[in-house]
Amino acid sequence: MWQTNLKVLSVVLVTVALYTGVANWIPQVESAPPEELSFTGDVSAEELVAAGEELFLGAGGCAACHGSGTRAPNLRTSEDDLGTIGERCDDRVSGEDCKTYLHESLVNPTAYVVEGYGAIMPDASRTLSPAQIWSLVAYLQSLGGEVTVTGADIQAEPGAGGAEAGEAAAASPLIAGGSTDPMEILEAGTCLACHALDGQGGPIGPPLDGIGARRDAAHIRRSILDPSADTTEGYENVAGTMPPNFGQQMSAAQLEAVVRFLAEEEGG
Amino acid sequence: MRMLTRIAAGLALSALGLLALAEPGAAQEAAASASRDYGEFPYVGARVAVWVAAQVHLMFAAFVLGVPMFAVVVEAVGIFTDDERYDRLAKEFTRLLLIAYSATAMWGAVLVFFLTTLYPTFWTHLSEIFEVSMWIYVGLFFVESFTLYLYYYGWDRWKAGRAKWGHWGLGLLLNVWGTAVMFIADSWLSYMMSPPASVTPTTPASEIDLFVALTNATWMPINIHRLIANVVFGGAVVGGYAAYRFLAAKTEEERAHYDWMGYVGNFIAIGALIILPFAGYWLGREIYEFNQQMGITMMGGFMSWLWIVQAFLIGVLFLAGNYYLWTGMDRIPGAERFRPYIKWMLLVLVLGVIVWATPRTMIADRAELAAMGGTHHPFLGVLGVMSAKNTAVNLMILTTFLSFMMYRRANKRPTVAWARTGTIVQGALLGIAALVVLFYGVYGYFVEAIVRIGFSVYQVIAVLAALVVVLALDIAMMRGAESRGAIQWGRMPERSQYALFILVVTFTWLMGLMGFARSGIRQHWHIFEVMRDTSAHAATPALGEAAQVITACVLIFLGLIAFIFWLGGLVEKPALVPEKAETSRPPSGALSPEPGG
Repeated sequence: MWQTNLKVLSVVLVTVALYTGVANWIPQVESAPPEELSFTGDVSAEELVAAGEELFLGAGGCAACHGSGTRAPNLRTSEDDLGTIGERCDDRVSGEDCKTYLHESLVNPTAYVVEGYGAIMPDASRTLSPAQIWSLVAYLQSLGGEVTVTGADIQAEPGAGGAEAGEAAAASPLIAGGSTDPMEILEAGTCLACHALDGQGGPIGPPLDGIGARRDAAHIRRSILDPSADTTEGYENVAGTMPPNFGQQMSAAQLEAVVRFLAEEEGG
Repeated sequence: MRMLTRIAAGLALSALGLLALAEPGAAQEAAASASRDYGEFPYVGARVAVWVAAQVHLMFAAFVLGVPMFAVVVEAVGIFTDDERYDRLAKEFTRLLLIAYSATAMWGAVLVFFLTTLYPTFWTHLSEIFEVSMWIYVGLFFVESFTLYLYYYGWDRWKAGRAKWGHWGLGLLLNVWGTAVMFIADSWLSYMMSPPASVTPTTPASEIDLFVALTNATWMPINIHRLIANVVFGGAVVGGYAAYRFLAAKTEEERAHYDWMGYVGNFIAIGALIILPFAGYWLGREIYEFNQQMGITMMGGFMSWLWIVQAFLIGVLFLAGNYYLWTGMDRIPGAERFRPYIKWMLLVLVLGVIVWATPRTMIADRAELAAMGGTHHPFLGVLGVMSAKNTAVNLMILTTFLSFMMYRRANKRPTVAWARTGTIVQGALLGIAALVVLFYGVYGYFVEAIVRIGFSVYQVIAVLAALVVVLALDIAMMRGAESRGAIQWGRMPERSQYALFILVVTFTWLMGLMGFARSGIRQHWHIFEVMRDTSAHAATPALGEAAQVITACVLIFLGLIAFIFWLGGLVEKPALVPEKAETSRPPSGALSPEPGG
């Protein structure tokens, strides 16, 4: 009888161990709550953008829809050739500037539903604080536009304010520790593992030498944020190789620094 | 010594649990006067403590609610067929419930105490809205318990004539009370998931209407999903119990009895499992309709990989369930004519599992991405989409149904004049259903996502229609069928019983996983978008950590239920099939694959 008991026990333990093992073997993703933000009136645009970016890509849950391009408009890449959200937001609603439009779209999402998409977006004010919403607006503006959100916008909200910049902004895990030196970013981001520049780098992807002569800034920005959008002739066999998340690992300032640097890299 | 003190204190608290349930007002006052939002639990933290208490309570609750549902059906079969073995089987099912009821109540009390001490503010909010339903719940629980005692202990006293029908009525009442208790408890947890739109973070709990809170968006889908899942779970646990008793049997009679009991348990579990996904679809749709973001979090957000694990588990269930049936055909004369088909059915099941468990988006390093040519594998990426997965699962359901049909018909020879035509029609219906499933599966690749989603409805309708019509035809066709020989109950290889153990472990683990999914999609909200979890344990853990908690819950539940069954065995030995001649004579009736009469 003990033999039977042992066999039964073994079957039970092996089965649960197998399931536990499988669950631990697959990619592990934790869902952390968004960190509370508190900004002073003189908070910088960079701080707001960094905090907004972290929310957009993380606990805010925005990227689940605004990145796939099927459920909701892409915000970080060009939609219908109108540019990224920062480029197109000023023209969305007549008489409404970008900041107002974006804020309205977050707290009253059914006000302006983009044609071709369903009204599925939840009211951000149900889950996010005013500081978090304004930092999202700042981040979205930074995607191709000018950041006009200031600490005053946050201070004007009832119950808002605070002394220090949010921990989220401070703890943002950016490439090269948030440095805006383009070469530091290219090296830390391992871009040169595939792209050649100035005698460094590999031959897997198109060379960056003279890239500014061949591509304009908008094209370079798009290629970083959405690498599969265009494929350079002769590199079709490695299409899709470039990780699509470099844009998520850089602040807007870092991205713009790299774009500017590469656009000016005309070779010779 | 410290540990012993802790255990003693825990037992004392558990024993007092019902008193606390009876006085939610007192608990509420205690919570309201608390000067803190959260308590802390040693070693594992508050979140895991409540998680384990709730999950183990739910496992026991599912068992004690599921078993009466089929016990009363089996008793009715016994009454209608006048076959006393069904009556004894129903009584044995009910015997398993008695001590499990106490465990359910104890774990419920542990949960209530944990909630009041570890999450006092949240509990105050919940009890302020639901206090009346909590009082009704306690009342129903008492009524349910005493109905169970009457049902079980009155079994032999009210055994014949009108009294028997009265006794059966008690079984029916037991189910009514149990279902009402579950519906009430479901309203609390579904309110946490999908509070009414009128409730905001600033709405005072005292102003929230009980009926509006109770009839929230996911309440009824969860009720129905749980009703079916309880039957599945109860059947699987009974199957596991019977498997153990089969392996431990000392006589042929015992082995025959528990072989039959295991077959019935597996029949109930797999039969109900086949319809469970349809209830799951409804629940999923209601979640999307309530809040798209919640739906996206569930299926496409941080929980998306959970469904790959779920697919793996359900694959094991289908394979183990079918294996048990195929092995069981060895003891049925006439079943050998179906043997050549088994390898093809196994192939369909294995392919189905592989497709269902294929992830869409691969997490890969740069070299792997280069080798694949993108984030989606050129071949596997195509199989990872819902068109392929829905097709796979529907074909697996049809295959499992076919296994049941083969098992059911194995030792029968129909005598009706239209038997051949009927069989051809049955085959054609199953074939057409498979073609419809395949057609929409392939067509789904050529249309937009919004159109493709609707195709799953056509696939489900085709499969359900085929299942109902084919079974109805079969019942009609097998009336008065000749027997090819009696089922040799008890002549089952031992390895088949281990399939039943795998089934019960897998069902229990799957229940824990789905509990995590349902609760986890609220993310950092006690009550979605109404009351935020601001505790140190607000983050929803990754699947690996969740799996460890689930495994702990499964082992606690299985350990306790084994102990409870052992205790039950000490008290009373079930009356088995008395005559030796009956061991090879199969029971008659709806649950048997044998011709009636």
